[in-house]
Amino acid sequence: MSEGLVPWLIIVPLICGGAAQCGKVWKRFDRHACVLSTALLTGIAAVLLPARAAIFSGAVLRYHLGSWTEPVGITLILDGAAWVSAALIFIITFLVAVFALGERRYGAAFFFFLMIMTAGMMGVSLTGDLFTMFVCFEIVAIAAYALIAFDGTAAGLAASFKYLILSSVGIFFFLFGIFLLYRDIGSLSIAAVSAALGSPGAAAVPSTHLALVSLCAGIGVRTAFIPFHTWLPEAHAYAPHPVSALLSGVVIKISLFAMLRLLLQFGGQYLFGLLLWIGALTALSAVISALAQSDAKRLLAFSSISQMGYILAAFAAGESVSLVAAFSHAINHALFKSLLFLTVGIAVQATGERNLYRMRPLGRDYPIISAAFFIGALSICGMPPLNGYASKALIGTAMKGSPAYPLLWITSFATVASFIKLSRIYLPGAISARARTKPGVLTTVSVIALSALCLCAGIFGGPIAGMLQRLLQPAVPFAVPALFRVSALLMFTPIAVLGTAGYFLIATPAARSLAARYESFMPNVRTVLVLFFAGLACFVAAGRW
Amino acid sequence: MAWYLIGALFLTGLWGVAAKHNIVKKAMALSIANNALILFFIYNGSRGAQTAPIEGSAKVMADPLPQALMLTAIVVGICILALALALIYRLYLRFGTLDIRTIERKAWKTHE
Repeated sequence: MSEGLVPWLIIVPLICGGAAQCGKVWKRFDRHACVLSTALLTGIAAVLLPARAAIFSGAVLRYHLGSWTEPVGITLILDGAAWVSAALIFIITFLVAVFALGERRYGAAFFFFLMIMTAGMMGVSLTGDLFTMFVCFEIVAIAAYALIAFDGTAAGLAASFKYLILSSVGIFFFLFGIFLLYRDIGSLSIAAVSAALGSPGAAAVPSTHLALVSLCAGIGVRTAFIPFHTWLPEAHAYAPHPVSALLSGVVIKISLFAMLRLLLQFGGQYLFGLLLWIGALTALSAVISALAQSDAKRLLAFSSISQMGYILAAFAAGESVSLVAAFSHAINHALFKSLLFLTVGIAVQATGERNLYRMRPLGRDYPIISAAFFIGALSICGMPPLNGYASKALIGTAMKGSPAYPLLWITSFATVASFIKLSRIYLPGAISARARTKPGVLTTVSVIALSALCLCAGIFGGPIAGMLQRLLQPAVPFAVPALFRVSALLMFTPIAVLGTAGYFLIATPAARSLAARYESFMPNVRTVLVLFFAGLACFVAAGRW
Repeated sequence: MAWYLIGALFLTGLWGVAAKHNIVKKAMALSIANNALILFFIYNGSRGAQTAPIEGSAKVMADPLPQALMLTAIVVGICILALALALIYRLYLRFGTLDIRTIERKAWKTHE
């Protein structure tokens, strides 16, 4: 395996984007161009699979663009974590592109932006220096703004603008952090900065501390934890359905991985206490917001925020198993949340209604899609043997004895309650004349593939955790946990019982009127910015402890 | 002195993004803050230097790396500004106003 293949991970999606753009120029071949660009995307697998042997044996592949070495040149680094993120990006983007092909509503321009976004995400996970990371973050963001507003609906445009304002302000602070590091250390490569900071990390000097928290706040907006999450419910809920799946599935995960990488490299362990509580609070408060929603896609969006908080808390617990638990839950969440967004998208499309109380139950009309939806919903609830169970068990080990664990435990049964509420849209109901238009073959195939992946990632949860351990931190000894022990399986019972009880509680008229009042509360752009600055101040103050 | 001026420019931009109700002004304020950041890099790179990074020896010329980086940052900033203005145009066609308060009041009620 030669290093020369590494840049192709970024070049292949760019070529796909170019292929899609041909359909924009020659309108007659619009459909052909979309199919071609999706097919070309499999080229990423052709790079990742040959690299597998080298990566698994612990090698790190470096490629210097234009043969310029650091500190002047750009280095692409394919290590274990980058390989995992690239594989995740490929799987989700490819399946979402197949879904979009099946829907037949999205033309060449849609695929163009989709592929550009993929290239940007690849860049974020592969880059070895901070400035390239900034540029790639902006590439992802520009494509995301365009995709969120793609349908041209009023809500989509406004959501895209809100996201643009907040994430631009966030990325300014990211750039400011880069400036501080360059001023103090004189290098932008992550490895060189990490070496210069040494063992005391960023906490030793006030200016490097400020740099690290600026970087974290900048990425925090993209990752969406409290108080930087305020753009997400609108952006993910009012985007076209495949875009929602992609945004919730991979875009927020890739920025999370970037943040974890910077924190670990720059000695950010002193921030873990703050991140633990931010994560736990995010998980709990977002799931309460999810319970109050009556809009199906907004419910899913809030649930995404909640799960991000879950992942962040697991990571910040700082145990040896934490990193693996965070990564495996992030990957599993990517699988089941994109599945849920796609299936709920099909329901919204078929009924022309977003309010889950007014949607007609579709279980009998679309039996396959509804089976897939239930696999996704049971996964996120943590039902064995699906993948949500596997990674939640790992998180349970990572968080054992942590003071924030009760909050996460409450979150898991509130999640069950919110998904019982959502699942009424796919209950078996009367067959209606309106739902005659069956979902296309490609749509069904992509949904089935995602649910099969959910099932496999659950059954082979133990081996997958062992594999992640080998890729992410080969130095740390780690025993593959036995996931399917009776005592561990029994842990799900109280969560399911309490979740069902919680559902009946929120279905009472009093709770529903309270929920309706709570639901109409939406922070406006100014509040969103004030929250951002408050969060930044919190991070800055964390260094004083 | 120059540090404080550039800092003031950055804060002006951030204040404009948060305080102005007109969305075109918000976009312009974003651009101001972005330019202030670019000045941070350029000013830091030029301290103690006498010539531009194309003439003289390495001793007297300004640090070329920030200038190269900022060229990219300017391009990125222009992309964001162009996209923001395109979005604003579409928002104006949709809502008939540039006031963010009106847009936000109407937008979430009309979701299709």
